[in-house]
Amino acid sequence: MLVILALVAYPAVYHLLTNSPVANLAVAVLPRMDSMVAVLYFALFAMSFDFISGYTGYLSFGHAAFYGTGAYVVILIANGKVPLLPPGTPFVVSLLIAAVLAALLAVVIGLVSFRLTGVYFAMITLGFAQVMYVFVRGWDYVASNPRDGPAVGSTHAEGFGIGIPFVDQLNLAIGSFTGDTVTLLGHELGTYTVSFYMVGLVVLLSYFAMQRVIHSPFGRVMIAIRENEERAEAIGYDTFRYKLGAFVMSAFFGGVAGALFAGFRRSVTPENTFYFLVTGDALLASIIGGFGTLAGPLYGHLFDHGVREFLSNRGQGGGLLPYLQETLSEGLLTTQLPGGISVQGFIQAALNGHASLYVGIVFVLVVLYVPSGILGTVRSRLGGKLSETLPARVWGDR
Amino acid sequence: MTVPLLLPELAAFALQTGFVDGLGQFLRPTNLVSVLVEGLAKSAIYVMIASGLTLIFGLMGVLNFAHGSLTMIGAYLAGVVMVVLVGSATGQWTRLAYFFGALVVVFAALSLLGGIMEVGLIRELYDRPPIYQILLTFGLTLVLEEVVRIVVQFYGLQPISEWQGALGTKPAFLATDQSLGPLSIRGLAVFEILLGVATVAAIWAFLTRTRYGLYIRAGSEDAEMAEALGIDVRRVFTVVFALGAGIAGVAGALLMWDPVWGASVPLAAETLLPAFVVVIIGGLGTFRGTVAGALVVGMADATTTWWFQNVVTWTWLPEMAVFLILVGMLVVKPQGLYGVEEVGGH
Repeated sequence: MLVILALVAYPAVYHLLTNSPVANLAVAVLPRMDSMVAVLYFALFAMSFDFISGYTGYLSFGHAAFYGTGAYVVILIANGKVPLLPPGTPFVVSLLIAAVLAALLAVVIGLVSFRLTGVYFAMITLGFAQVMYVFVRGWDYVASNPRDGPAVGSTHAEGFGIGIPFVDQLNLAIGSFTGDTVTLLGHELGTYTVSFYMVGLVVLLSYFAMQRVIHSPFGRVMIAIRENEERAEAIGYDTFRYKLGAFVMSAFFGGVAGALFAGFRRSVTPENTFYFLVTGDALLASIIGGFGTLAGPLYGHLFDHGVREFLSNRGQGGGLLPYLQETLSEGLLTTQLPGGISVQGFIQAALNGHASLYVGIVFVLVVLYVPSGILGTVRSRLGGKLSETLPARVWGDR
Repeated sequence: MTVPLLLPELAAFALQTGFVDGLGQFLRPTNLVSVLVEGLAKSAIYVMIASGLTLIFGLMGVLNFAHGSLTMIGAYLAGVVMVVLVGSATGQWTRLAYFFGALVVVFAALSLLGGIMEVGLIRELYDRPPIYQILLTFGLTLVLEEVVRIVVQFYGLQPISEWQGALGTKPAFLATDQSLGPLSIRGLAVFEILLGVATVAAIWAFLTRTRYGLYIRAGSEDAEMAEALGIDVRRVFTVVFALGAGIAGVAGALLMWDPVWGASVPLAAETLLPAFVVVIIGGLGTFRGTVAGALVVGMADATTTWWFQNVVTWTWLPEMAVFLILVGMLVVKPQGLYGVEEVGGH
């Protein structure tokens, strides 16, 4: 609950801090609003990955296939390239269609892949995802230049609205240029802020849905499969059906995440949807955040994205180098370090744009020494979930 | 959704007389032989990329995601050696001799790196579920690739594109086509085949003719039993991991000269995926299977490449064929060509 409140308040806090005396520091350290939108939808993808991999123990290394399916279907519908669906199909409808298609794809992949376990399962799902990646990259029906991927064309110039379909007033469009702005209590909320809340709404609903499943008897069986599949089978559970069911659900939400991504960005490439490193990013988020905790991937991805943006090479929107250039004196920046390289040069060469290195080191350390990740460790330290134990700690046992 | 949209395309393609013509052209002896040679060259590359991976998995059950990164580091390291040693005046055969020197350097350096990785990091994880080894080595790829990128950029090279300077250190007779009667064969293809055969022979001899190879085979069969018989399995693990890393580096050194691959940071992912495919098709952990898998994938790759260059215009055909073979294999016979029956023990 606390986290949801913190996220709801984030735009206001960001707005306040970036206009306050510590603005320089805030701009440098806090993720930008548009990145926060990206954090949300990608965190949903990481959650869906964790849903299958963290809870049943089956590493779905081809999870990018579902993310990509969700993203491509939305764009193809908007471009009028899917039969029977007009370009004007409401975004919520095309999002659901995309997610259902991703789920159907998961049925096909799952039927084949769940005959295998462990490393083999990871490899065959990876194989499927790569087939789709290569295929989409070469199929000139999806885009005139399939290697660069499709973008939403003029057939759907308006933004993608999230809300009740066919009722214009109950929709708010997302996107950086096409999104709606809303005036609320005398404050104008920009397109990013509106997108943040609308995407956040979908992510929140999906999160609750997945959490519901995890806490149901179905979820118990998923965990039983992770802990000891043979025993779960011996007790009488048809583990194959449970695994397939969990896989299909996680693919559904992976598809939702991909659809949100496409709706917000309005253009996709094979590299940021179907490629296996997309799954790698979800893996990173899940492990750092806490494998087998549904909310963990959100923190994990927030961390990953925060570090990347902090060390990004681009000047605008804050980050380490612009901050130092503004606050430190010229003399210090050009001071020669041993080895004949200036401080600025060193930062540029070794820090900026190289966030993968530091995230990777953190990741390796987490795998080695904190296998339950941020959230898992905090939970086991406090002896329960944060929302339950934190109030008791703060206010004492009442 | 995809099938009905593709069908007209396929039908139109089948109706085109180009297909029949193409088949006739393909079956011409000169073309068949050149596809065969290309296929063997590709197989040689695949077997070199994959055999380190399979050795490590066969003994230790560790699927090394950092394998591609090791290949990439090997390519850069060999490139450094060559670029430093070779000048424009260096003779053709001297260049070849330097290359073999570079192979030795790369093998030693990468073996050292692999040994350190095993002792320092991977050893911690043997009693955890096998997924954690995938995770750890995946994290290592991030770190290794980024370090290489920093170094490469620092020396003013483009990390994403192939290192042209290193490509240019090839002797002329490897860079050009050699004509052999009616045939025209790439010099480098022949060199790759020779090096691949030599590598396979060396690994084979090591596994079957030396005492250490015996230890490795015993450890793959039953690590506990081998330990009970007095073999220091922990040390065997380290040695095998070092060897696997060294072989990955040697493969990288070869790729450094091949214009299709070249030394670049993305080389890591480009080699890792085919290596997985080869190893899984052959059966994870069997060296014999890896050789067979490399032949299958290499031939399929060369054949489809020829078709796409000469008949059809689908650029994705070769890559697609490779992964379709993988999926088909896993559907029909998940344990691979030579894999053991019980799948999923690891």
